[in-house]
Amino acid sequence: MTTATVSAREAYRVELTELAADDSRIVCLEADLGGASHCFRDRFPDRFLNLGIAEASAVDIAVGLASAGLRPFVNTFASFAAFRAGESVKLGLGYLAAPVVLVSPYGGVSGAWFGPTHHCLEDLAVMQSLPGVRIAVPAGEAETREAIRVAAAGDWPCYVRLGRNEVFDASFAPAGRGAVTWLNQISGDTCLVSIGEKPTALCQAVTESRPDVGHAHLCWVDAESLALAIPHLAGARRVVVVEEHRPAGSVASTLALLLPDREVRGVNAGTDWPTEGGNHDETLAAMGLTTSAVLNAVLEGEK
Amino acid sequence: MDEIDLLREQASRARRLVVDMAASEVGCHLGGSLSVVDILVAAYAVARSRPGTDVVLSKGHAAAALYAVLHENGVIEENPAPRYGRAGSPYTGHPGPKVPGVRFPTGSLGHGLAYAVGWALSRRLLNLPGGAIAVVGDGELQEGLVWEALQVAQAKRVAGLTVVVDLNGGQNDGHVSDISPMTDLPARLAAFGFSVAEVDGHDIEKLVATIVPTDRPLAVLATTVKGRGVPATEGKAGSHYVKISPARARQWKAAIR
Repeated sequence: MTTATVSAREAYRVELTELAADDSRIVCLEADLGGASHCFRDRFPDRFLNLGIAEASAVDIAVGLASAGLRPFVNTFASFAAFRAGESVKLGLGYLAAPVVLVSPYGGVSGAWFGPTHHCLEDLAVMQSLPGVRIAVPAGEAETREAIRVAAAGDWPCYVRLGRNEVFDASFAPAGRGAVTWLNQISGDTCLVSIGEKPTALCQAVTESRPDVGHAHLCWVDAESLALAIPHLAGARRVVVVEEHRPAGSVASTLALLLPDREVRGVNAGTDWPTEGGNHDETLAAMGLTTSAVLNAVLEGEK
Repeated sequence: MDEIDLLREQASRARRLVVDMAASEVGCHLGGSLSVVDILVAAYAVARSRPGTDVVLSKGHAAAALYAVLHENGVIEENPAPRYGRAGSPYTGHPGPKVPGVRFPTGSLGHGLAYAVGWALSRRLLNLPGGAIAVVGDGELQEGLVWEALQVAQAKRVAGLTVVVDLNGGQNDGHVSDISPMTDLPARLAAFGFSVAEVDGHDIEKLVATIVPTDRPLAVLATTVKGRGVPATEGKAGSHYVKISPARARQWKAAIR
């Protein structure tokens, strides 16, 4: 059991700094969103580069560094990684398969009151469409640190989606790529699959009232990683995927293709553009991503 | 015959290969390939003498010139022209990493320069010799990514980076001067913190002497003629993309000196 003490963003910085002590290939790139203080810069100033507000260049430069044998990590918000730098990601991480790791806070609507310019409910669709790019959506400090370790140890491009600054108290140990974390064992036909922090909390709330419903949490959600994980879902006839994303290009849609003999439903953030203020939970609620929506999806499948 | 004469001969042979690629089933970006041949010949000559130096053709649509010059340098062993653009061949209309000697995919304009910045930066981080020579087009300078990458290069004091601009004055839809003129280019590049040199982009001797990467980012403005070397195409905007018959290719190749 682990208890979070810091946000995923901070967990990333700390973990990368620790990894860099033993891996001289690691380079930390920022695009003016790393904060005024940064433990990596303090410890390894020569390998820390704040490239300024230049996301597309940052990804291309990272590709250049990776081609020379370095292991660059690029931190920028999810929307800027997936869209502003989208073509750089397609060419560098997709086509060239350069082992660059994109670490992207502000995934989903964690940017909340900052509005749709700082939301990203489409990033998983973008990244999922690029063959070979591995995608992690960790929940909490321990899983974030584990995802960063896996990304650093591999030789493939990665996208790691994080939230904003909230501390998510995930009282579970990370299962790792190709595995699931059972947060509630399945005893009926239905299994919830949660992706990311808030959906995991929603599913935990639902299984408190419906202990027969299974709850499997997944961190690595690219199609290749999902294919490795689905044998763990063998006991579920109905799967309800809960995620902070649009329906198009969702993990649910990928799982539905991988599980043609199962009933796969999605509970997601829908198709609206949230244009009002509020905190993260309130923004999700305005988009219909609530415990009652999850419960309704379970009940709908049981009809 | 001195080394520069050998390079001039190399450029002439490369131009004939480019014309052969224009006579392929798919044709090629002839005008911009012929304008950049001498720059590429000079760039690879400089890179050969400086280990760890990568040449990045950011104006990737001039792939025919790149393949021809890589062949002349022995990096591509086979003659690329007969297979250019064909099924099963890596010699696509814009270069990719399956081509020997090509590290980065270019053709979507602006990215090649940023890759080159990354490669040059890697030399410093790895404490290795070398750098990068990026070759960009003048139309390509209309891409915001170019200026973003230039800004980062000067801000991070990236050493060992030369940016050669092939100033052939043309782009897909016509003349750069008609579409989006790039005024005061030397001053603009100097304002971005680059040392700036201006050179005749067809004078291989001067190119070789000018484009050597230095401790400070260097921009070389190389004035060229679109379609250079083939009288029928020289200076003609219509030479941007050309598909010709084998008979015409023979005539054009015979005219190359």
